[in-house]
Amino acid sequence: MFRPTFLVHCVLSCMLGLLVCTSARGDVKDIDFQRDVRPILQTKCLKCHGPYEPAGELDLTRRESAIELQAVVPGQADASTLIQRITAADDAIRMPHQSPALSAHEIAILQSWIVSGAHWPAHWAYEPLKEIEPPELRSKSLQQWCQTPIDYFVAAAQELRGLVPSPLANRRTLLRRASFELRGLPPTTDELNTFLSDDTPDAWAKCVDRLLESPAYGERWARHWMDLVHFAETHGHDQDRPREHAWPYRDYLVRSFNQDKPYHQFVREQVAGDVLDPLNPDAIVATGFLAAGPWDESSLRDIREDSIDRVAGQYLDRDDIVTTVMSTFMSTSVHCARCHDHKFDTISQREYYGLQAVFAGIDKANRPYDPDPKVAGQRASLQSQLRDLEEQYAADPPALLTDEANAIVAEWESTDEAMPVRWLPMELVSAVSQGGATLTVDTSHHTVLASGTRPDKDIYSIDAITDLRQISALRLELIPHDDLPMRGPGRNDNGNLHLNTIRCFEVLTEPDHLREWSFKKPLADFNQQGWSIDMSVDGDPNTAWGIYPEVGRLHQGVFPLSEVRTSSQPQRLRIELHQIHGGGHLIGCLRLSVTDVGASLLEQSTTIPEDIAQILQVPRHQRSMDQRAVIAYWILTRRLTQQLGALPTEQFVYVGTNQFAADGSFRPAEKPRTIHVLRRGLLAEPGDEATAGALSLIPSLPSQLAVRQADNEGARREALANWLTDQRNPLLWRSIANRVWQHCIGRPLVDTPNDFGQMGAMPSHPELLDWMAYYLQQHGGSLKELQRLILTSAVYQQQSTNRTDGAEVDQENRYLWRMNGRRLDAESYRDALLQVTGVLDSTIGGPSVRQFIETPGVHVTPNVDYDHFDPGDPSQTRRSIYRFLFRTVPDPFMEALDCPDASQLAPQRNSSLTAVQALATLNDKLVVHLSQRFAESPEADQPELEPQVRLGYRRLFGRDPHNDELQRVTEYARQHGLANACRVLFNTNEFLFVD
Amino acid sequence: MTLQCERLDSRRSFLQRAAQGFGMLAVFDLLLRDAVADTVTSQRADLHGGLHHPAKVKRVIQLFMNGGVSQMDTFDYKPELERRHGESIDFGLKAAVTSPLGTIMKSPFAFRQYGESGRWVSDVFPQLAQHVDELAFLMAMRSKSNVHGPASYLQNTGNVNPGFPSLGSWLSYGLGSLTDNLPTFVVLPDHRGLPYNNTGNFSAGFLPAAHYATVIRPNNAIPVPFLRPPANATHITGESECEGQRLLRELNANHLMNHPDDSRLEARIQSFELAARMQTSAPEALDLSHESPATLSQYGIDNPNTEPFGKNCLIARRLIERGVRFVQVWSGMGGPKNNWDNHSDIPQELPFIASMVDQPIAALLRDTRERGLLDDTLIVWTTEFGRMPFTQGATGRDHNGGTFVSWLAGAGVRGGTAFGQSDEFAYQTAIDETTGYDLHATILHLMGIDHTQLTFSHNGLDRRLTDVHGKVIQQILA
Repeated sequence: MFRPTFLVHCVLSCMLGLLVCTSARGDVKDIDFQRDVRPILQTKCLKCHGPYEPAGELDLTRRESAIELQAVVPGQADASTLIQRITAADDAIRMPHQSPALSAHEIAILQSWIVSGAHWPAHWAYEPLKEIEPPELRSKSLQQWCQTPIDYFVAAAQELRGLVPSPLANRRTLLRRASFELRGLPPTTDELNTFLSDDTPDAWAKCVDRLLESPAYGERWARHWMDLVHFAETHGHDQDRPREHAWPYRDYLVRSFNQDKPYHQFVREQVAGDVLDPLNPDAIVATGFLAAGPWDESSLRDIREDSIDRVAGQYLDRDDIVTTVMSTFMSTSVHCARCHDHKFDTISQREYYGLQAVFAGIDKANRPYDPDPKVAGQRASLQSQLRDLEEQYAADPPALLTDEANAIVAEWESTDEAMPVRWLPMELVSAVSQGGATLTVDTSHHTVLASGTRPDKDIYSIDAITDLRQISALRLELIPHDDLPMRGPGRNDNGNLHLNTIRCFEVLTEPDHLREWSFKKPLADFNQQGWSIDMSVDGDPNTAWGIYPEVGRLHQGVFPLSEVRTSSQPQRLRIELHQIHGGGHLIGCLRLSVTDVGASLLEQSTTIPEDIAQILQVPRHQRSMDQRAVIAYWILTRRLTQQLGALPTEQFVYVGTNQFAADGSFRPAEKPRTIHVLRRGLLAEPGDEATAGALSLIPSLPSQLAVRQADNEGARREALANWLTDQRNPLLWRSIANRVWQHCIGRPLVDTPNDFGQMGAMPSHPELLDWMAYYLQQHGGSLKELQRLILTSAVYQQQSTNRTDGAEVDQENRYLWRMNGRRLDAESYRDALLQVTGVLDSTIGGPSVRQFIETPGVHVTPNVDYDHFDPGDPSQTRRSIYRFLFRTVPDPFMEALDCPDASQLAPQRNSSLTAVQALATLNDKLVVHLSQRFAESPEADQPELEPQVRLGYRRLFGRDPHNDELQRVTEYARQHGLANACRVLFNTNEFLFVD
Repeated sequence: MTLQCERLDSRRSFLQRAAQGFGMLAVFDLLLRDAVADTVTSQRADLHGGLHHPAKVKRVIQLFMNGGVSQMDTFDYKPELERRHGESIDFGLKAAVTSPLGTIMKSPFAFRQYGESGRWVSDVFPQLAQHVDELAFLMAMRSKSNVHGPASYLQNTGNVNPGFPSLGSWLSYGLGSLTDNLPTFVVLPDHRGLPYNNTGNFSAGFLPAAHYATVIRPNNAIPVPFLRPPANATHITGESECEGQRLLRELNANHLMNHPDDSRLEARIQSFELAARMQTSAPEALDLSHESPATLSQYGIDNPNTEPFGKNCLIARRLIERGVRFVQVWSGMGGPKNNWDNHSDIPQELPFIASMVDQPIAALLRDTRERGLLDDTLIVWTTEFGRMPFTQGATGRDHNGGTFVSWLAGAGVRGGTAFGQSDEFAYQTAIDETTGYDLHATILHLMGIDHTQLTFSHNGLDRRLTDVHGKVIQQILA
């Protein structure tokens, strides 16, 4: 058997041209575990020998396990069973089992590693960050080449491999490259001229600064972030409902990147901004992050609450949140531990469900908030006063009666508003249901109660008499009743009702001789959102008054008559209540009354409840202490409520929250839901209850969360935000440093940007990654600082042209001996077309624009039609980031250019070239339309074609055409028009690719 | 007007040229026609196009019945339901997924035995029933979701969440295309609209755009997206297209000279040539005018009731003939009606929708067999879940993932077999349960793919169509 000694191995390796054992000085050097050994273990061994139920209990992610089982005997390769097994001649014994044997080279690496002591450092990603000195370079020319610390790391890796960097790119190339990278837009002709004519030594640095300060920068990087967190504006399942209030989160991203918000603050806000900074609207909107992903409306709202699919839906929805948080901020594949302990990383199922517990109190929903912080402060103060009042009243009612409170009461009682309106209940004669319900009249309480059949729709017709000789208004009371669902007052399962139309007739001599009375603007003590009482008199049978979710309570609607009606004798009225919305939204119990007071008083006093009205009729000095306290409590509450009502209306934003109005059986959790560790991920096999917690894989960072108050959901998220941004968490910074590099350079240092675990890729430049991570942490989490550094580096400023000498050593350009060229992404291509055509609308933010025709679908999901949408519609000229993102019907043009499926986290985009894509860039109606617009633009309005072609070249490519190009394109334009010529230029490789 | 106005290089000659100039693999990779890069070079003749073992199937037509076909009213005959009709039976359930529990409802349709195999089929499928000896039934399939959204995702992508690649995309990724002239993966939605989850059911998820489904709407002015310039762009003529393409090639060639050895640039130049071919081939494939009246009539295209689905079945056959790898034909749209989601009235709703597909499916089976296509084509009939043995409302049935029926026909499949049994009420699987994962594993197996080996690394996981599940259902294989 071939058993090389260390020396033999080195000779062998050198012959094979390997780098593992020679340093730059050419003498013997230890094998690097991370670089050389780990990839072998990872690809050949861990499938069976990971931390989760390892075969033969050998866990090859841990040195202790390997040594304990003598798989590795440091210093003795032959004694190590690892080596014995991988070199065994007998297939039944040889590892990896039932797979090809390791190569001689791989075996040699493992042997040398064991011989040299089997140095086994902890996993690179979890090691603490520390300051690193850039490496020293032997080559003078490389030293001179370096412009930033970054360059030293890259140059050192090149020096080691005999690579040399590429020459400096020209200014036109540099500006186009940086402009797309930082703004997703090409430079304008003016910008190019400014830069070309700037001969100061720091021209490039100034140019980078200008780009970083451009508002388009935030849009560009917000779009990267939206990929990462799978942001879209519909739910994404069979009920793909549009989210009209998701866009503020997108604007938050644009703002945050433009402001260069410290990264740790950015992270904290997105996880728990509403808790950490409740009066800051930005911090609330930030939690749109938690709700960026899909939501299964059928499972979470519509099916029965008691079904297993409801609970399954909740676990899956939290899985989406947990996955997004940990993939985005920690580059950790925690979601692999949903059904069993993580197979490769030390993440237990218990830890995974501990993270589910962190988010067990929130749902994805529209929460109200105040975009103006001042209003937010006022609202919070009023709400807190209300709460105090409530508590005080509950504890000791008479204690409310302070001098100040008494003065407020006295003042109020002196106003007209306090004048109680006398309502006289009508004497009921008959009540008939057209739908077949049983209407029972209670003449002593003057009520009508519905029972029996519950038709879908119904019209009640009630005859009643009053002695009042002058009638100014009619009142309809909706009365709770034990026999009604949710105590009513409606008959729907949720206690609601919908009154589409109320009509009032005066019954003249003959029963069928009627005269209709019309109403003025009606009043109600409460209106369901979108179902206000106005709708019961608007003549539209499709709209109605409703009271949801304030069910189980007394409500009243007051209907002032258009003119006061007088009579010398008792009047008989017929009231018709049309309840034709369907679904059994019917009134359960009601009472009708009339009054003669004037309209102004009515308006003020409609909301005085009956019990208060009664006390008010008692002279003040005769009221008991309790009565006085009831009045004081009511008035003080009312004052605060009115002040709250006078504040500007709250807006909504779609976030992860428990602050939302219930919608059917989808209602906020009052406290965090109980989470179980689900064995095999199965609901049928619930294990222990999970407690909110984090991960233990970072040795320096405890996994316990310091939760202020265990059953407070906000406290749980706050604790996780603290944990994520703890100084001792190196992953946060490594993760973001890698992403910044990825977007600047075109390829990340770690090829698996969402997985820095055992199975993730190794960084190509580990020290550089750590240096940048540390730099970010030390520079206040400023992404712009790091970007400035990268863009001004020599690495960045290289040409991207392929070189045979470089390609021979490193074809995929892992060591950056040239800059990476890139195909424009979908948004950049579309936005560039708009800009070069001169029609780009650079408005920032606001509600998303629908670049499709939306019509109502047969159910929840609307119909979405991109085909017939007018390419000349002004909304088409907004930047692509403001497109309304419809999850289950993505824009086919953007899709053809690899815009990712918005239901999936997309840390990296594909960059494919397909026939369908070629058809799209040729024939998409916007592309064709813009080529026509370009031809019609004022600047192109010149008698000669040549200047127009020149203009096109400058706008599209930032250069003048060569003579032959000018001739060919002009000739084509002469024959087929400028629009056709322009369409050809839009489809050139020079336009779609960036050097 | 098309782009193809002069003789274009064949793909072969392009690749030969490419191979001389620079890395051939890179070109393959960029064009993404042959997706699993390592296997491109190792595709072996003895595997008949398979990836890991010899393939029996080269292409697939999947007929997806959207909404949840009622198993006990179609293929899963249950005399016990007749005996217990009207009884309340405790299944240990508090409620069905959208409704309270009803009473046992027998099937309102007569069942008969057909063929040598003696399979029971209800009267809603009189013509399909004639073919039972060609079909292999999975009689006890289970879905872990009872809700349309997740269950439809599960049957199409192997995951209850949105955003994962569908079967067709995986096949495109794993096997590449059989033709350059047409897309690899085509979806023909119900003529009334897209199914639950819209295009989410045929997403390529995290796979590159080359594996996206091409949605074809034969009745649209532009049936294939972007196939033609917009109708109102009158300045674009046949001549302007021809010369425009020539100009574009010239400009791109000049550009390439300054970017030596950039395979992406050359791949894009080639993509325009492929696009030109597609412009000619796709309309031809969709043109039914050369089909005989007998064929049209066989598919029911002469009858308004069967015309829409019949047309899609015939187009599916034509696409398969021309080398499309995977065609998915949908019956039923999303929403509460015009699909198989018969919550309120099984006796009325089910025969209606069944009558729209019965004859076309029978015709497809006959036609593909007569043309020899079934020798290497698989036809799969599926749905997302079954329905409850008890009533919802008066005569409807609620969702039930407990058991449902699918069938396969064609290459590699043993006709006249049935695998698995549900319980006496067709409420849950009882014997030999199978899942969508198993069905996917079996389809991949027939196409020469080991479902555990077809992976794509995404977000920290080597993702598979079958997740961590799936076993090949050997019992129905020939």
